[in-house]
Amino acid sequence: MNIIETRDLHKVYEGVVPVHAVNGVDLQIEEGEFTAIVGPSGSGKTTLLNIIGGLDQPSSGNILVDAIDISSLSQNQMIDFRLQNIGFVFQAYNLIPVLTAKENVEFVMLMQKRPKAEREQRTEELLQAVGLGDKINTRPNQLSGGQQQRVAVARALASKPKFVLADEPTANLDSQSTTQLLDIMADLNEKENITFVFSTHDQRVIDRAKRVITLEDGKIVSDERKN
Amino acid sequence: MLLKLAWRNLWRNKRRTLITTASIFVAVILSTFMRSLQEGSYNEMIKNAVSFYSGYIQIHKNGYWDEQKLDNSFEDLDVVKAALSGDKRVTVATPRIESALLISSGEKTHIAQIVGTNPEQEDQLTNLAAKVVEGRYLTSDDQGLMIAAGIAEKLKVGVGDSLILLGQGYHGVSANEIYPIIGIVKYASPLLNKRIMFLPLKEAQEMFVAQEMLTSYAINVENPKQSEKVAQALKAELNSEEYEVMPWTELSPDLIKMIEGDRAGGYLFMAILYVIIGFGIFGTALMMINERQYEFGVMTAIGMKRGKLARLLTLEMVIMAILGVIAGFIAAIPIITYFQFNPITFKGEAAKAYEAFNIAPIIPTMLDFGVIASQALVVLIITLLISIYPILQLLRLDPIKAMRT
Amino acid sequence: MISLIAWRNVWRNPLRSGIVGLAIAIGLVSGVFMVSLQFGILESRTRDIIQTQISHIQLHHPQYEKGGETKFILENGPQVFEALSKEPYVKSISARILIPAMLESSKGNFGVELIGVNPEEEAELTLLKDRMVAGDYFKEGRSVGIVIGRKLAEKIGVKVTDENGEDSYNFRRRLVFRFQTASNEISSLRVKVVGVYQTANSLLEEAQVFIQRKDVDHILEIPGEIHEIALITDDRKEFIEEKLTKVNALPAIAGNEGAKVETWSDIAPDIQFFAETIAASSRIIMIIILLALAFGIINTMLMAVLERTRELGMLMSVGMNKLKIFTMIMLETVFLTFIGAPIGLLTGWGLITYFGKQGIDMGVFTEGSEQFGFSSIVYPELPATSYQEIIIMVILTALLSAIYPAYKALQLNPSEAVRAI
Repeated sequence: MNIIETRDLHKVYEGVVPVHAVNGVDLQIEEGEFTAIVGPSGSGKTTLLNIIGGLDQPSSGNILVDAIDISSLSQNQMIDFRLQNIGFVFQAYNLIPVLTAKENVEFVMLMQKRPKAEREQRTEELLQAVGLGDKINTRPNQLSGGQQQRVAVARALASKPKFVLADEPTANLDSQSTTQLLDIMADLNEKENITFVFSTHDQRVIDRAKRVITLEDGKIVSDERKN
Repeated sequence: MLLKLAWRNLWRNKRRTLITTASIFVAVILSTFMRSLQEGSYNEMIKNAVSFYSGYIQIHKNGYWDEQKLDNSFEDLDVVKAALSGDKRVTVATPRIESALLISSGEKTHIAQIVGTNPEQEDQLTNLAAKVVEGRYLTSDDQGLMIAAGIAEKLKVGVGDSLILLGQGYHGVSANEIYPIIGIVKYASPLLNKRIMFLPLKEAQEMFVAQEMLTSYAINVENPKQSEKVAQALKAELNSEEYEVMPWTELSPDLIKMIEGDRAGGYLFMAILYVIIGFGIFGTALMMINERQYEFGVMTAIGMKRGKLARLLTLEMVIMAILGVIAGFIAAIPIITYFQFNPITFKGEAAKAYEAFNIAPIIPTMLDFGVIASQALVVLIITLLISIYPILQLLRLDPIKAMRT
Repeated sequence: MISLIAWRNVWRNPLRSGIVGLAIAIGLVSGVFMVSLQFGILESRTRDIIQTQISHIQLHHPQYEKGGETKFILENGPQVFEALSKEPYVKSISARILIPAMLESSKGNFGVELIGVNPEEEAELTLLKDRMVAGDYFKEGRSVGIVIGRKLAEKIGVKVTDENGEDSYNFRRRLVFRFQTASNEISSLRVKVVGVYQTANSLLEEAQVFIQRKDVDHILEIPGEIHEIALITDDRKEFIEEKLTKVNALPAIAGNEGAKVETWSDIAPDIQFFAETIAASSRIIMIIILLALAFGIINTMLMAVLERTRELGMLMSVGMNKLKIFTMIMLETVFLTFIGAPIGLLTGWGLITYFGKQGIDMGVFTEGSEQFGFSSIVYPELPATSYQEIIIMVILTALLSAIYPAYKALQLNPSEAVRAI
């Protein structure tokens, strides 16, 4: 079953020279996929990801998440929809700087109004899973870039989302941290059947992806599945 | 080159520039508003005290102020009239002859100040006709009295009753006369309300047997601020052996003393205000510097000397200060003008207290370009002084560290 | 959690928050202290006026008013005086005759209020004897002696100032008073100035002339009678109403239709006027200070919001809705305000309490007030209601300053905010 489906998606940024950032994208992503969207900078990766995540509105076309057309949601409904269904990992500025690792992960569940016991248990599990069981009370500025991204992954999963969107998650990481992060995500994908969609131009990520969609000038130019 | 760079830097981050400039702008508005309010309240005080009776300037025979008696009166000569009509700043000059007399209703006696005056000019000077509460206002040809309400109450007399005036006229001749009461005026000041009564000038001169003689000219000027200057000019015109010309500051020394005392407190308050707005500007300036650490790091890294960078930043601060101050100056004018014509008005208990004294419960502002300009200058100086700290910090900038943040 | 984030956000930039906090603290300390100085000045002037002019309680004939007629004497005056003098709470008391009179001198005629007193009583009640600047505080002689104010002395030529600013007094001048007796006859009295007093109020210095009661009561045709009794009690001026009840209950006064009893606040409504003026100007001072602070707060918070665009975008992406963002920024602003406000208010309160006991010499600011008989020592004080009012104004300032930055934060669009690096 398709967890994400876009139909003839267009996004035009108006300006002196209008930019057709997304130009007729039809895309289906199934549950449990581990997909990388790749392409040179300016190819429309981030815009596509933002639209799928409901952070941005398409100029035309539809996005169905779990068969729900999210382009019809109001802004506040959208925020709530994101909270319940989508996990985000950004390139940087992922964490709330004034909260500890544990509080950052717990924050999402708090907004979902989960009971305290569940929050505590899940936070602990998730931080263990990303290998930061010993850093739960550390604030982001005392964590390395790789550790911060791992906390971000833990937080993205905390809300039990239908899928996780990661925008260039490894762009600021060294190779060791990148490998660690990818291991964790791949592991979660394997064991928990969590759907991941990346945008990236990092070869290491592309190598690990099970499906690679290539964008150029806002259009899909290739879509390969690996086994 | 530096100027161009500074200007472009300011435009590059319009929002930040706007916030910093706004803090300077608001500082100018607040401080000019406060000063205008202070000066306005003094003006109102002076107006209350002066325009009720004394006028902004008086001319007497030399020595009259120290010995206020009829014998110290002067002849109403053309020299004086010419001097008065020659000065465009003089809006009205009311001739008066006045002295204290005993007045009696036959049964009750009271002491009052009889003021012989030109009714028309007196009205222009003190808005007297509007204070009539019973009967009518005097005309120059009347042979009757207009008395203050307090006297009427005390003597239990009203319009139509007659009063006996007993006393001394010019050079000791006795001045006794009976006059009917034509009108009653109510004064704001309880003191005047119990003391003052009016006769047309001619009639008073006749009663005092002092034809063509005056004890004073009470003068209003276009702008109260000019009082001293106009007095100086009149003094120069008139023979100082014969006449004394006194501005209100000399006529009411207590008032000026009170205002001076209050102004000292006002300056103290302004100092506090400067500290607060100084902190506000300092905060924004500091934030601006912190936000731009990376940029400064890059600029030093590509070879810009710190001294030059400091000059660039100073230039930016100066431009923002000048923009803020000018904008503040321009915006302050309509605000102050508005509050001049729609003054802050007290309500409730405070208003009642004011009204009990027949003083309008208002504090108007006063639009004075000198005040606004001086405040604008003070804020400009404060801003420039404040820029010193962040600029000193900049001189110690470590580019590597700056670029890492 | 939102409040925790807001609180920690305030401390992310300790220097910045510190500056705002310090500005608020300084603003409030100085504002509160200035207001308390004004109240202190009012209080000390009120005390001066009560001490030297109007006393705590005055008794008159109900129809008597200032500058009124001689015939309105206080009914059974001597007995009332006798009764009051024996009351334990009466600290000092004086019985007076009051006559509106015309003073005729070679320098002109002046309307004055002639006050007939017993010099010992008056010395104790209004400290008249202590306020003498020249001559004698009454003395027995062939002619009737009067004590006049410095200002009147200047006007009638008793006080002469030479070119060097040195004052000298000439007590040889003879003067004549003219006044109306109880039977409405005009009568006159020849007198000689024996002493000159000073007081805080130059109008009074010009108008009040003191004479011995025994020198005028016969001429006025009211031998032994009085117009006014003034007294000071052993209590503070705030509690005079209680004493008023006691005075009214005295047998000599209860049922005496010819006696009206008033307190200082009935007698001098202008004190109320000044109190109201000061309350109003204090409010303006606080409002201006808080306005200045509000702009500092708004600026700081606006900067804080704008420089955190990216972070706010992330918060919105992970599911924080607009209400929560708004609440967070509001809370941040309120917390920021409340760092400085309690410090400022407490310091202000401390200063007021300390100087309220020690007093501050305001001689620098009130130059010349000493010579008017005002004490230049001011004891700052602030009524509890003013504290409440100021606290409410501070809270309002915090909330109002919070609205704009919070509103600005709401306008951020998550995708733009995320992109804006």
